[in-house]
Amino acid sequence: MTSSASHPPLTIAHVEQDTIATFRRPGWLYWLALLACLGLTVAGGWVWALLVTRGLGVTGMNSPVMWGAFITSFVFFIGISHSGTLVSAILYFTRSPLRASIGRSAEAMTVIAILTAGLYPLIHLGRSWLFFWLLPYPNQRGLWPNFHSPLVWDIFAVCSYVTVSALFLYMGMIPDLALLSRRVKGWRRPLFRFLSLGFSGSDGEWAIFERAYPIFAAVAIPLAVSVHSVVSWDFAMTLIPGWHSTIFAPYFVAGAIFSGLAMAILLLAFLRRGYRLHKYIRLDHFDMMAKLLLAMSLVMWLVYATEFVQAMLRGSPAERDVFIWRTTGRYALLYWLVILCNCIIPLLTFSRRVRRSLPWLVFISIAVTVGMWFERFMFVVTSLAHHYDPFAWGAYVPSLPEALLCLAGFGWFGLLFLIFIKVFPSISVAETMQGLHAHGHDTASEGEPALEAQHA
Amino acid sequence: MPEYLIAEYDNPDSAREALRQLEALDLPGVRVASPAAYPAVHATGSPGPWRWLAWLALSGALLGLVTAIVLEVGSSLAHPVQVGGKPVVAWIPYGVIMFELTMLGAGATSFMSLVVLTALSRRGVPRVARRAVASDRIVVIVPATKQQSEQTRAVNEALAGALSVTETP
Repeated sequence: MTSSASHPPLTIAHVEQDTIATFRRPGWLYWLALLACLGLTVAGGWVWALLVTRGLGVTGMNSPVMWGAFITSFVFFIGISHSGTLVSAILYFTRSPLRASIGRSAEAMTVIAILTAGLYPLIHLGRSWLFFWLLPYPNQRGLWPNFHSPLVWDIFAVCSYVTVSALFLYMGMIPDLALLSRRVKGWRRPLFRFLSLGFSGSDGEWAIFERAYPIFAAVAIPLAVSVHSVVSWDFAMTLIPGWHSTIFAPYFVAGAIFSGLAMAILLLAFLRRGYRLHKYIRLDHFDMMAKLLLAMSLVMWLVYATEFVQAMLRGSPAERDVFIWRTTGRYALLYWLVILCNCIIPLLTFSRRVRRSLPWLVFISIAVTVGMWFERFMFVVTSLAHHYDPFAWGAYVPSLPEALLCLAGFGWFGLLFLIFIKVFPSISVAETMQGLHAHGHDTASEGEPALEAQHA
Repeated sequence: MPEYLIAEYDNPDSAREALRQLEALDLPGVRVASPAAYPAVHATGSPGPWRWLAWLALSGALLGLVTAIVLEVGSSLAHPVQVGGKPVVAWIPYGVIMFELTMLGAGATSFMSLVVLTALSRRGVPRVARRAVASDRIVVIVPATKQQSEQTRAVNEALAGALSVTETP
């Protein structure tokens, strides 16, 4: 880890220089990650083309398991998206020093995760080019979306969320783009100048900005909660045992924050290492995020226990059977893997030493990411494979093209994130400068130089 | 006679101190431009139509709500779908889309208002002053034409701590 002696005290002038430095020629780690993500994306594109030409028969989906790895990935990436905007908006209102350092990356993660999540329902449609049939517009086919259906709510919720999240991200970047447009060279200069919309930093503009931003943050928080609640209702509104539960909305929201935090830790660890942003993304910040991750892991404990106890005490015989089958049946290994990754491994963060060790945090975050993907897979598949009628029970194993397409989602997500951090400022310059000024100087913290980037 | 005096500071506190002295002179139209929302930017009383923002956001939210009601209720009555004997227009399930579009309306309107109102707000700031803003430059703009002759000396004193003071024609 970085020692405190290796960094000079941070000043306002450093913030701009360090941000511009992230636009320079990247190192081998960046190129390696970009190549891996690009490879996965290209492979995914090829498999999608195969799926379009040959049909959904190349997947492992069947009757009764008609939702599989694609819907799992959709729910997973919507969950990842949940944390960014929500956490950034909450940090804004709580005036947290974390926000200046992690807010931008978290917001970018949200937008990119929704863009990734949105691909999976399109892939799952089979005939993806007919997606517009889901939209309400006058047509001659006599088709009209049923507004009672959670699937239609989903379209509105996801579209609203991606719009507001993208605007939230963009809005926060405007002052930085305006400032950096005077310093950067090459193609970024006209791009930043265009995207900064003429923002000049005058008192009147700041006054408007400072009033518009909290309104936007206040809109983003309920929208973030609603979008994952709506996704949960895709399942909970059905009568399928294991899905038809009132706990589903809070269960999904908690899981989403949990998986989003794990992904944020992974991305920030990469940013810190790749761009040498040790002064901005500090171990203190990772420590705080690890505490949040631990808290959410304990919430997951509660949610899993509540769900199980509810099914045992109040559920129908079919529901009880599904829950017992999850823990002992064909997919039991996955169930216990989920418990291990989401409930047991994160308990390591009770140790302060683990919370301040990046290799440990990266390991825990990878475990949580894997655990959350399989958690989504477990509840999507087991309820469909084992519901009311034993005669209709079935099994599902994702085919190779499906598995490849799910991996490609991670590739696409990583690719967009890598492009974003190379093109746009990955830390909030204006907020960091504001925080430095508010505190007068850079205060040293244990193990590293500190940056008290408090939102004044 | 120059139109504006443009004073550049490398420290937000020096700029704020100059603004405090200028405020005591009761000079109209003093503005400041800075790379971050330092306390200095609030010292001028934040000119601009920012008070409209909340009302514009509320109007956008209402527009979103009305759009959702028209879309859901209007189209359900025009194209009734088979809902198994249940009400075609059901307010509880319709509430979800109403909520989403209300929030979308509020967010989109806030953003559009930000773009339009900031453009209106910076009209009183000369272009040369806007260009001078940098990470280590806070710019104080004093309208020279509105100064009384006896104020000129006091203004010069107020701007004495600046790195540079330039006059715009």
